[in-house]
Amino acid sequence: MADSILSLADVTLTLAGNAGPVEILHGITLDVHRGETLGLVGPSGSGKSSLLMLMGGLERATSGRVTALGHDLTAMNEDQLARFRRQHMGVVFQSFHLIPTMTALENVATPLELAGHRDAFDRAAEELRAVGLGPRMDHYPSQMSGGEQQRVALARAAAPRPHVLLADEPTGNLDGANGAAIMDLLFGLRDRHGATLVLVTHAPDLAARCDRVVRLADGRIASDELRRAAE
Amino acid sequence: MTLAVAARIARRELRGGLRGFYVFLACLALGVAAIAAVGSVRQSIEGGLKREGAVLLGGDAEMSLTYRYAEPDERAWMEDVATRVSEIVDFRSMVVVERDGVTERGLTQVKGVDGAYPLYGTVELDPPMPLDTALAGDGAVMERVLADRLGLRPGDRFRLGTADYTLSAVLLREPDGAGDGFGLGPRLILRTAALEGSGLLAPGTLYETKYRLALPVGSDMAALETRADARFADKGMRWRDARNGAPGMTRFVDRMGSFLVLVGLAGLAVGGVGVSAAVRAYLDGKTEVIAILKTLGAEGRTILLAYLMQIGTLAGLGIVLGLALGALAPMVAAPFIQAQLPVPVQVSLHPGPLAEAALYGVLTALLFTLWPLARTEEVRAAALFRDASGQVRAWPRPVYMGVTVALAAALIWIAAWFSGVPQLALWAAFGIVAALGLLALAAVGLRRLARRLARARAVRGRTALRLALGAVGGPGGETVSVVLSLGLGLSILAAIGQIDANLRSAIQQELPERAPSYFVVDIQPDQLDGFLARLTGDPGVSKVETAPMLRGVITRINDRPAKEVAGDHWVIRGDRGVTYAATPPEGTIVNAGAWWPADYDGPPVMSFADEEAGEIGLKLGDAVTVNILGRDITATVTSFREVDFSTAGIGFVVTMNPAALMGAPHTHIATVYAEPEAEAAILRDLAEAYPNITAIRVRDAVDRVAEVLSSLAAAIAYGASATLVTGVIVLIGAAAAGERTRVFESAVLKTVGAVRGQVLAYFALRSAMLGAAAGTVAIVAGGVAGWAVMEFVMMGGYEFEPVSALAIVLGGAAATLLAGLAFAWRPLAARPARVLRARE
Repeated sequence: MADSILSLADVTLTLAGNAGPVEILHGITLDVHRGETLGLVGPSGSGKSSLLMLMGGLERATSGRVTALGHDLTAMNEDQLARFRRQHMGVVFQSFHLIPTMTALENVATPLELAGHRDAFDRAAEELRAVGLGPRMDHYPSQMSGGEQQRVALARAAAPRPHVLLADEPTGNLDGANGAAIMDLLFGLRDRHGATLVLVTHAPDLAARCDRVVRLADGRIASDELRRAAE
Repeated sequence: MTLAVAARIARRELRGGLRGFYVFLACLALGVAAIAAVGSVRQSIEGGLKREGAVLLGGDAEMSLTYRYAEPDERAWMEDVATRVSEIVDFRSMVVVERDGVTERGLTQVKGVDGAYPLYGTVELDPPMPLDTALAGDGAVMERVLADRLGLRPGDRFRLGTADYTLSAVLLREPDGAGDGFGLGPRLILRTAALEGSGLLAPGTLYETKYRLALPVGSDMAALETRADARFADKGMRWRDARNGAPGMTRFVDRMGSFLVLVGLAGLAVGGVGVSAAVRAYLDGKTEVIAILKTLGAEGRTILLAYLMQIGTLAGLGIVLGLALGALAPMVAAPFIQAQLPVPVQVSLHPGPLAEAALYGVLTALLFTLWPLARTEEVRAAALFRDASGQVRAWPRPVYMGVTVALAAALIWIAAWFSGVPQLALWAAFGIVAALGLLALAAVGLRRLARRLARARAVRGRTALRLALGAVGGPGGETVSVVLSLGLGLSILAAIGQIDANLRSAIQQELPERAPSYFVVDIQPDQLDGFLARLTGDPGVSKVETAPMLRGVITRINDRPAKEVAGDHWVIRGDRGVTYAATPPEGTIVNAGAWWPADYDGPPVMSFADEEAGEIGLKLGDAVTVNILGRDITATVTSFREVDFSTAGIGFVVTMNPAALMGAPHTHIATVYAEPEAEAAILRDLAEAYPNITAIRVRDAVDRVAEVLSSLAAAIAYGASATLVTGVIVLIGAAAAGERTRVFESAVLKTVGAVRGQVLAYFALRSAMLGAAAGTVAIVAGGVAGWAVMEFVMMGGYEFEPVSALAIVLGGAAATLLAGLAFAWRPLAARPARVLRARE
């Protein structure tokens, strides 16, 4: 079996709500292996996205330990987490989250620039061509369709060649055809770069494409099913 | 039906409260408040001037003469119409103090009064005492500034001319001070009778007499003025009455008030940009609601009306707030305002200025909200399914553009009408519109440049800089509203800075280079030779000019009253210096006609200042009557000559042939051009040898004028600061409105690996760029406005003044930076997961 790239040990997450603290995750212990494609499934409010955010260091665990590539994310401050992400992680959201004042090319080049790559724009252009947006590099997000925006977001996440790709319902805001195209691209990128992919999804057909599917219910792991071993 | 539905929708939408409208309300309220406050203060001062007219004038009416006292028949006429008459004599002199072998001299404006003075009001003294007591015997009172300069305390002795006097008290307030107008020296009051033996009121000496009349209650001033004019105007008698007790002050307050209202309007224009941005932001947030309403069958017109009602309600609230503030602020500031003015001011509610301010507020609110409101009609139902913000066209339908132009025209027309200075108002409006146009162009240019630079290879790798350029150049964002609002505020400050600096430099630096050291008046004819002998041998003196000096009033032109021919031109307003010369004085340039022969002995002839002759429509051969010492002298204009009044040298509008004037008692004036080191000795020798003469140090006079200008500049700066405060509020509003976007950007940037320092650098650079751009345009706009005012209004030269200009750019950048950074903490502290998931 491949070694662990992401590791969560007895992780809890409690957030402040209007009616008092809300416990989102309860004692999650989970290892994600290098090269694995992990599907996080479960009903709405089960804590899938929160778990993904913890893995990306975008959210802080209330207790427990989150380790990525051997680094303890729970011990890092905001800036250390940002540096860690720029080197090792790519994140794709359901609502794309492109910066509206930047063109597609600029959006994709930004993480590469932040990581200090001198050829940031060349690589960004190459990545955009790879997702089929070569002719639309200079367009602003508002000038693109939802499917196109998500392709830009994919290119942005993949451009720095991250070890881990985290995707939070990347097809949730897209129609069937566009969603399928995005998933093909996502899995294609994973295959091309050999990254570990953690995918939050509601779609059974997407989950079916994953090596392993973890089902969450009420903030707890309800099942952990290995479909096939990571290559 | 549509109206009722729109009203219901508006009412429901308004339940959301004022959130998001604080900047809108602040901008409108502040602009309206500034105009209302200026108008209220103006009305209060004008009310005070009107109410206290008699006190300010020193009587219900005043008849004044130059060079002479009233003849018995004139005095008898006054005694006949008035219940009481008070006689004042007013002239300049020098106070001399000798202490421990050192002699000190101070220029003063002397007022010799009789026992009836003051007819109205009271003279305030320190220590407090009745004026009669203070002026008993050789007693005198003087303003504190003069007493302090000369080190005098009550009880000390000083000399005036050749007589000695005792300072009884310090003069705190003379009731008729504001009516006397601008004086070069501080005031000194003594009994006219005490001037006997001082040698100061010898024949030909420059002095003025004023006869204040206390008239029976209910006197018809206009009728009396007509009677007095008919009888005495030709003898050089001038009439003023309590209907306008301090005409100079009234004119000043009127002009100043108008000017400040125009500055206030500029503030409202700045606020308008903020109002527009606030409404745009609010309606952008309502895109979904509008799309839903359209899906449910609402017509564009219904939606437009619904939002027009909402914005109208809020604008009404803003205007009411502004009016309350504008009415209350002067009341709170009343003691401060009172302390600055020599006029009793009773600050109270004045409906007129409040209505004017409200009208400006309504028009401005409509003008600046119409375009964003018109866009609501453009929102399509499809916006629900996709981001359709890019599909709304930038220009509204032609009908709205037409209404906008009509509103702007109405606003400008009303401002021109209300201000009473239509030309200035139109120029100011043109300036504001031009500045807004320039700023809009600059904003568009800046966006394009930033967009281009963001893609330049040179900035690749400099992430914060590229992000900042991308944000400034990108769609949406605050580039346009920040550049417009801050830029307009800074443009006004820059213009004031440029004008102020140029005026100061014209007065304090350029003028004295060519100006004499001393201007000497009241040299008796028999003193002239000795006076010249002292100076011509002095190596420190480079030039001395002298001229005979009489004062006269131009009463008729071609036998018609001068006022009929020349209107209110300054040449015929009050008395003017008149001189005579056999040959053209050195350097004289005769532009038309010819000078009379040196031995000319015929009927009186006259050479008139060319420019002024042109202004009052004088031609060669015209007959001009000048009243000198009550005697009419009618002379034929035989030449026009160049006279430069800006050098502070000797310049007379009217010069006559010697035979015409030599018989009249007169004195000589002189200008002395000397090295600064020689000045003190000259003054000492001349004042000792000729105690009756008055030497005015030109530098002191220039300082006095500069002082007055400073207070003017300060008043204008107060007005302009309201504009800047509005600009800063708009700026803060823009920064606050952008905070949500900034939080999102920060979250995305952190997600893709940006550390907080990089995010902060990006925010800071973006803010500084916008501020610097606004400041740079402000310098251009302010420079052009400064040039236009100096060239066309002040008729002077213009030189770019870099210090205030640099301060404007730096100030603009710093203000934007601070506003930007003040709203950067939340975005920096926000956790990416929370922010991004909230937008899922």
